[in-house]
Amino acid sequence: MRQVILIVMKDLRRRLRSPVAVVSMMFIPIVITLVIGLVFGRSGQVELPRIRVLLVDKDNGVFSHFIRQGMQQERLSEMIDLVEVEEDEGRSMMEKGEASALIEIPESFTADLLDEKPVQLSLTKNPSETFLPIIVEEVVETAALMLDSGVRIFADPIGRVQSMFEGESWPSGNDVTGLLDNSRDRFVLVGGYLTDSLVVLKTEDATAQIEEEGSTQSFDIFAFVLPGSLLIGLLFISQIALRDIVREREYGTLPRLLTAPLEVGHVIAGKTLSAFVITAVSCILLVIIARFGFGITLGNPLALVVHLVATIFMCTGVLTLLYGFIRSDRAADAALPVVILTMCLLGGSMVPYEQMGAALQEAGKFSPVFWAVDGLKRIFIEGAGLRDISLHLGILYGLAVLTVVPGTLLLRRRVKRGG
Amino acid sequence: MIKVNDIAKSYGDVTALGGISFEVREGEIFGFLGPNGAGKTTTVSIISGLLLADSGSVRIADMDIRKDSRKIRKIQGVVPQEIALYEELSGRENLHFWGSLYGLSSKDVRDAAERVLELVGLTERANDPVRTYSGGMKRRINLCVGLIHRPRVLLLDEPTLGIDPQARLNILDIIKQEGSGGTTVIYTTHYLEEAENLCDRIAIIDHGRILADGTLQELTDLVGEDDIVMITGDFTDQQVRPLLNDVKVEHLEDASLRVLVSDSSAIGQLLGRFFSAGIHVGDVSIKEPSLESVFIKLTGRELRD
Repeated sequence: MRQVILIVMKDLRRRLRSPVAVVSMMFIPIVITLVIGLVFGRSGQVELPRIRVLLVDKDNGVFSHFIRQGMQQERLSEMIDLVEVEEDEGRSMMEKGEASALIEIPESFTADLLDEKPVQLSLTKNPSETFLPIIVEEVVETAALMLDSGVRIFADPIGRVQSMFEGESWPSGNDVTGLLDNSRDRFVLVGGYLTDSLVVLKTEDATAQIEEEGSTQSFDIFAFVLPGSLLIGLLFISQIALRDIVREREYGTLPRLLTAPLEVGHVIAGKTLSAFVITAVSCILLVIIARFGFGITLGNPLALVVHLVATIFMCTGVLTLLYGFIRSDRAADAALPVVILTMCLLGGSMVPYEQMGAALQEAGKFSPVFWAVDGLKRIFIEGAGLRDISLHLGILYGLAVLTVVPGTLLLRRRVKRGG
Repeated sequence: MIKVNDIAKSYGDVTALGGISFEVREGEIFGFLGPNGAGKTTTVSIISGLLLADSGSVRIADMDIRKDSRKIRKIQGVVPQEIALYEELSGRENLHFWGSLYGLSSKDVRDAAERVLELVGLTERANDPVRTYSGGMKRRINLCVGLIHRPRVLLLDEPTLGIDPQARLNILDIIKQEGSGGTTVIYTTHYLEEAENLCDRIAIIDHGRILADGTLQELTDLVGEDDIVMITGDFTDQQVRPLLNDVKVEHLEDASLRVLVSDSSAIGQLLGRFFSAGIHVGDVSIKEPSLESVFIKLTGRELRD
């Protein structure tokens, strides 16, 4: 045991003297969490700026009002700030870049539409913006399409009404009845498309609902992202720590160790234990950063500690097994990042597990990363206790044992054969 | 102290050792002289317990390397060809680590580290990381690791490889001191002068076989009093053979001839015959009886070849 401790102490001292590799791996979870948090905001929702749209209405008729009203209806008005301007003023504002788009409705727009003549709406986009003018373009295109469809369907009754009022006398009762029948038939024909659907999809904002209920708990993007990115970091840190077995072989210190009065098992145990300690210390530092840097609520402390120990044990075990098959530093460089990133991808470290397709979700359950990430999310977000994550813990500890034992035996055999 | 009996080792189809035997007496410095790939490192690796021989036996201090490996490793110090040190740690930390592995107590390891640091003149730089040391300083710390626990048997595999003459002399002095202090030393090298100046007995090894072993005197006696003359040029075996009736021919092939001559006048006569026959001579070299001439006689080539 003394020899094992000597090897662990020596490796920890070496890592302290040359911490760059491990520290740079610790930046993975910090940077990923920070960037995603900054992009989506703490609550995870994207806040778009309101889009300023200028409207020059030279028509001032029924249909130009339809467009204006459409853009000022409840949901669109949250997104679009519609400002009515004169033509010169609008162009001047666009040149100064003071709006995202300028819509011009020409004179006699309504009259020409009723006469079924082609009309043209003009849209000028701000070239310095990319995303917001495209939204305006989509809205205007939709309005134009609706107008076009409406006019084509109701052109006949609208025209008949127009001609009734152009005459000198009031229309007869038969004319009015015929017009109403005609209009009713057309409404029946297109009613399903124009009127409200019978089945309404109600969407609600979960965050808003929780806040309305007076709860203090809210969705935290950091707590959602950090478990996945933490696992990427921990696996790479374990990988660096265990790589010493390959490196010492190449540097000649491993053969020299084997000429000293100790057993091969001491060397392997020392290496595995130092990898565990290095990963554990990195994990503790990352959890401290998670708590005090990102303000993540850590949940049940006992569950967190037991789960993290299982996670670190699993990381060390999996990497020990992988190194049992690795012969050189170059082979480690080529193979291990691919294996680690695949496990992370399937396990929901990169893409949220909830967003993955059913087949991938099933496959993900075969990645040890899934059980580590999901367990941590439950602890951070749901405040899960030991009982809630007992399945996760069982699988993680089981996997750790199932990987560390054959991994150690493989390494032992390889080292015994002189590398 | 060390008895090696008919050990053989192969790596697949390549035979590294083809069954070698030798004995090293207590307190003796035993040299292994041979070119790269001769089997020196394989021999040291088997004696140190790092490799298992395919056949044969090794006994050290009356213990069998297979049965009592750990006990043997405790009384051995190994200095490998590579600089096998932890570069992030200081020289002193390296010594403390390796000394502790050999079972020295904290106090003993501190004292021993100071002793060997003083021996190699590195006390002042002992707290600096090894990565900041020069090649010669690293070699000296590499040697210290092998000496820190005062081993009874010291195995040194080309410990002066690639260092300047001054550092080499320092290392050779230390090894001489260890030998005179009673440590049994096996020293591998491909430098003739190191083997001549340092070793009590020398084994010449090539292609995994010991070609000869003995003291320097015993080995040089193998070539007798004759000088070795090596002639290269633009000639064939058939052209030269009729000119060599009264000459002791060691080796003859197209463009290369090696003969033994008892005095310098014989060399002149031989070259005269070559010129008379119109044979172009490119290069002539003469080796007096020495370890080098022994090596050439035994292997048919110079050590640097």
